[in-house]
Amino acid sequence: MMSRDSGASLILSLLISAVLDSDGLSPPGKPRLTSCRSPEKETFTCWWEPGSDGGLPTNYSLFYRKENSDTVYECPDYHTAGRNSCFFSKNDTSIWVNYNITVVATNALGSNFSDPVDVDVVYIVQPHTPENLTVVLEDEDNPFLVVRWEPPRMADTRSGWITLIYQLRVKLEKEEEWEEHFAGQQKQFNIFSLHSGEVYMVQVRCKPDHGFWSEWSATTYVKVPDYISRERSIWILIAVFSTFIFFVFIWTMHINRNSVKHFLLPPVPGPKIKGFDTQLLKSGKSEAVFSALVIQGYPPTSYYDDLLVEYLEVYDNKEQVLMLDRKDLQESLFKSKSSSDTDSGRGSCDSHTLLMEKCVEPKEDQTMMPQVKDSEASRDLVMKNDSNTPESTNVKTKTWPTICSSYHYDQNPCYHSIPEMPRQCHISSNHFASTHQQDYWESPADIYHKKPPSGYRYAQAYSEFNIKGIALKEATFPASKSLEYVEVQHVNQENTLILKPIGQEGPDLFHAACTGHDYSRVNRVVSDNVFLLQRDTSGQCHSDCQEREAPVRSCTQQQPGKPADHLQVPRVQETHLAPNGYVDTATMLSY
Amino acid sequence: CVLHCWSLFVLLLMCLDLHTLVESAPICAHGHTGCHSPTLSDLFDRVIQHSARMHGLSSDLHSDFEQYFLPSRNQIGRINRKCHTAYILTPNGKENAQRLAREELTEVILKLLAAWRDPLSQFHRSMARHEDFTSISGNKALEMSDMVHQLKNGVEKVAEKMQLLGMISNSLMSLSSTEALAPHSASSEARSMSDYELLYCFRRDSNKVQNYLKILKCRIVAEHGC
Repeated sequence: MMSRDSGASLILSLLISAVLDSDGLSPPGKPRLTSCRSPEKETFTCWWEPGSDGGLPTNYSLFYRKENSDTVYECPDYHTAGRNSCFFSKNDTSIWVNYNITVVATNALGSNFSDPVDVDVVYIVQPHTPENLTVVLEDEDNPFLVVRWEPPRMADTRSGWITLIYQLRVKLEKEEEWEEHFAGQQKQFNIFSLHSGEVYMVQVRCKPDHGFWSEWSATTYVKVPDYISRERSIWILIAVFSTFIFFVFIWTMHINRNSVKHFLLPPVPGPKIKGFDTQLLKSGKSEAVFSALVIQGYPPTSYYDDLLVEYLEVYDNKEQVLMLDRKDLQESLFKSKSSSDTDSGRGSCDSHTLLMEKCVEPKEDQTMMPQVKDSEASRDLVMKNDSNTPESTNVKTKTWPTICSSYHYDQNPCYHSIPEMPRQCHISSNHFASTHQQDYWESPADIYHKKPPSGYRYAQAYSEFNIKGIALKEATFPASKSLEYVEVQHVNQENTLILKPIGQEGPDLFHAACTGHDYSRVNRVVSDNVFLLQRDTSGQCHSDCQEREAPVRSCTQQQPGKPADHLQVPRVQETHLAPNGYVDTATMLSY
Repeated sequence: CVLHCWSLFVLLLMCLDLHTLVESAPICAHGHTGCHSPTLSDLFDRVIQHSARMHGLSSDLHSDFEQYFLPSRNQIGRINRKCHTAYILTPNGKENAQRLAREELTEVILKLLAAWRDPLSQFHRSMARHEDFTSISGNKALEMSDMVHQLKNGVEKVAEKMQLLGMISNSLMSLSSTEALAPHSASSEARSMSDYELLYCFRRDSNKVQNYLKILKCRIVAEHGC
């Protein structure tokens, strides 16, 4: 039952609404306030959007309430602002007051209220567009635009009631994009960098400090006449000048192309070696080139033996006591040190000779030299200047007394002494010392000189003899390891056998020949100043005895041969044969 | 010499107070010679700039509040209560403002500024307690609160200058009397207001102050800017 009634009422209402709708009659739709705006903060206008009118004439009315007041006022002016608007005049407008505005749509069937809107006039200010926009072209040579405008008429900026800020925009007529500029509160603006012969469009708008932007003003057109900009002319000038400079530069480089080429691509330096001839090298004669590099005398060929030998070979005999006069020794040493030392590798042979020489202390005696030279004629003899002898002997023996003795003591088979011959050792008592000092032997090597002594004598001293000019004793020479031998130089008046070492002038030869205990055997005497030495088959001393200018050595000869006439043999009682079968040449006296 | 000049320059830089824009600069006492006192126009420009800055801060804070605090829809754009400064009669239009005497206008400005000193500090304190509020907003609130005080001092200086120059009569009430005239209920009413309401009211009042100052300036110092 109930359902049938509700269903019936429903169908009935539907029928009625259908009938009514077919006529288009309905209460009005809900209007909507779209916006309220104030152009100068003194009046404002509100616009609404009407809803559907429902087919019936609809009346719209606007009601408002002011802040904190319940009085409802209706819009005073519906027409000034156009349709669906309400204009609030100055008398009706209160700033800093909240308006609550509502629009009501009314028709025969009903009314409809819009949603209320709260408005404070201060925040809805949108001024009109600026007025009197003028664009002036100034400065024909370098033109620029001067844009001026006026604020909208109604906005009272003069009293400070409203503060407006402006904005303008410019574009070429043919372009699409605007160029916007912010002008602040000023009412003038300059535009530079114009394109010549173009048409520009300018617009401006404004805004209050808290509000909305106005619409853009009407466009102002301006035509820029044709001109050559200063900027362009400057660039042309710069281009011409730089081209000129460039050509000058190129021309200069062309003139100096060689030096430029040298600067950029420096030539590869050739080798710089002294004495090196590149041309010669190029010609291909490498030997000639490299020979030029050879420096004569370099590297200094040193006689290693010279370096090596610093010491004499000394064989110490116990029986002998060496005396030294250190002081004189040093003197003599230093004197002779100045000259070169060629005492190299003499070995014991040489060392003995050395010592013997030193015994006599070869003193450069100019007077003696000629004698020596003179004696070349009679080379078999070593002439001594007897006048000089004593002192020389004295001098010589002064320092080397013991050496002599040692020499003689240390004689090896090389040395053949003549025991029968009285020997004399001149001793200087002052310098006789019975001390044997080992290191003494070193020094002679340093000061040994190769200069063939003009003459010398030997003095032998035995340890027993410590008196000057003491008589001699026969020297008994024990067999020793002495490597040296001497030859008798001459026999002086006192029947002393003056000995000299062999091979004075030819130390090198001797060196080459004699190592250690080497000595040679004289084969024969060939000529006045030549004697041949026999090669020692036993492998000992070999020396080629060639011409000797120095006192001639007597050469023994195995062959029977008469000795040279110049050979003056002292009264040799017998020839003492060396144990090894050699005849010491020393025994063969040569004067 | 170069070293001395350089050191002097550095010292000068250090001494430069970069906050002079927003602070009211000290003005020379009356009649002091050798002290270049700024002109009234300069003073006005300073206080106007200051008030503009203050209003900008209040607008920012208000919009932040509307965005992040989401007050109810029916509250946006309006408040249900009156601002606590409603007792101050302020001109609501240009004619009203222009009809007002200079002294009265100055007095209104000073009253407004005086009325907002305490509520703003209160607002700043309550801002600090809000966890949702960003630190930037908190700084703005603090700055705003300081600015009110400084602006008031500046306007007082301007008033003094005006009185000195004879532009306004000496009938201007002193500051203390201005504050004394404030009804006691106003302060209590301010305390009961919410933060949003405070912001809403202050935004409006700062705008009033700025506007009144501009009017005052253009009325007293007739410049081309007006």
